[in-house]
Amino acid sequence: MEGGGWHCCSIIFKELLLIRWIGPLILLLTLLAAPQSAVRADAQPGNAAPDFALPAASGGNVRLSEYRGEVVLLAFWSSRCALCVTQLTALDELQTTYRSAGLVTLAVSVDDDLPRATRFAKSHPARFPLLLDRRKGVSRAYGIERLPTTVLIDRRGRVRSVEPDFRGIDNSYVAQLRALLDDPL
Amino acid sequence: MSIARAFCRYLVDAVVVTALLAAPSAWCATEPAASDPAVSVSAPGAAAATDAVAPAAASAPSADAAAPASDASTRALDEQIQDLKQQVVDLNKDLFVLEEELLFPANTQVAVFVSMDVGEFFGLDSVTLKIDKHEVSNYLYTPREVAALAKGGVQRIYVGNLRAGQHELVALFGGKGPNERDYRRGASIKFEKGIGAKYLELKISDRARKAQPEFEIRDWE
Repeated sequence: MEGGGWHCCSIIFKELLLIRWIGPLILLLTLLAAPQSAVRADAQPGNAAPDFALPAASGGNVRLSEYRGEVVLLAFWSSRCALCVTQLTALDELQTTYRSAGLVTLAVSVDDDLPRATRFAKSHPARFPLLLDRRKGVSRAYGIERLPTTVLIDRRGRVRSVEPDFRGIDNSYVAQLRALLDDPL
Repeated sequence: MSIARAFCRYLVDAVVVTALLAAPSAWCATEPAASDPAVSVSAPGAAAATDAVAPAAASAPSADAAAPASDASTRALDEQIQDLKQQVVDLNKDLFVLEEELLFPANTQVAVFVSMDVGEFFGLDSVTLKIDKHEVSNYLYTPREVAALAKGGVQRIYVGNLRAGQHELVALFGGKGPNERDYRRGASIKFEKGIGAKYLELKISDRARKAQPEFEIRDWE
């Protein structure tokens, strides 16, 4: 009986070991295999873009819904992100090219240091507003986890694409943008 | 409350989609009548030579008659579409009212409105509301919204629920004051929430005598 008892204990011990170590390991692997950029359901392509109002570094406030009827390119950036600086330059050229076609670019800063962000904005003048998301409400609404991230919003105010870890403007991105610009409201 | 709001919106969408899907069945209900001249032209080809002449002879006047008939059917269809659109709009309005009643029942509802008179001495930028020391609203105004307020518009800045009893509302106004200086002023009011909806108005007006803006909170009747 004692031998049977020990046998049962070893079985139970092995099961506990399985639950204690293997289960969490499986869970960890599942989490690691999950998509790196988990955008919130609200900002998923096809959904209405969450509306917001933010102060601009140059003064005044900007509200997203006032640009209904235009194609909006929402770019999230930080003054501490070197790639973001390159992105802003590229977006400036894009804005110049397609402004007359109805493209509106809004750059949202996720900096914690607002004076730094403001100084950056003044030292890097752009042809579009640089907005300051001090409370991070807009960044949370769009589920921003990587920088730079760009969001394309069509003329009806719906999210059409989210590009996390934006690496540059290539032909496919321009084609996508032109398709939205060609789409009448 | 977010779950209730999401449910109400789902309900609205479901009803609208159902109404739109039910529309085609009404459009396709009618079939062309046997006496319709347009139908007689497409009758099965069982006619002899003499019969072939008759449809050919009849095709000319029937073609002329087909045009007004198609216009009439188009008008009827258009009227049906307009009626359906109006029904959807009315239904949407009713559902919106129901949603408001569900989320903000009259016995607990409190709403705060903002109005502006002239605005020469103050350029409104933001309004922050606190009820019982809890921030409930922080609204940023764009130039278009400020222009709308200056033209006499009234904005419902906040709607929520409060239990009956004594409460305090504090409003903080931010913007540009005289000489384009940053300006920040506050106003507060203690009010009694009883049975029935409570409406409060934040009024921004110019006090010309002192060349300063004036901020006032009062019951909105």
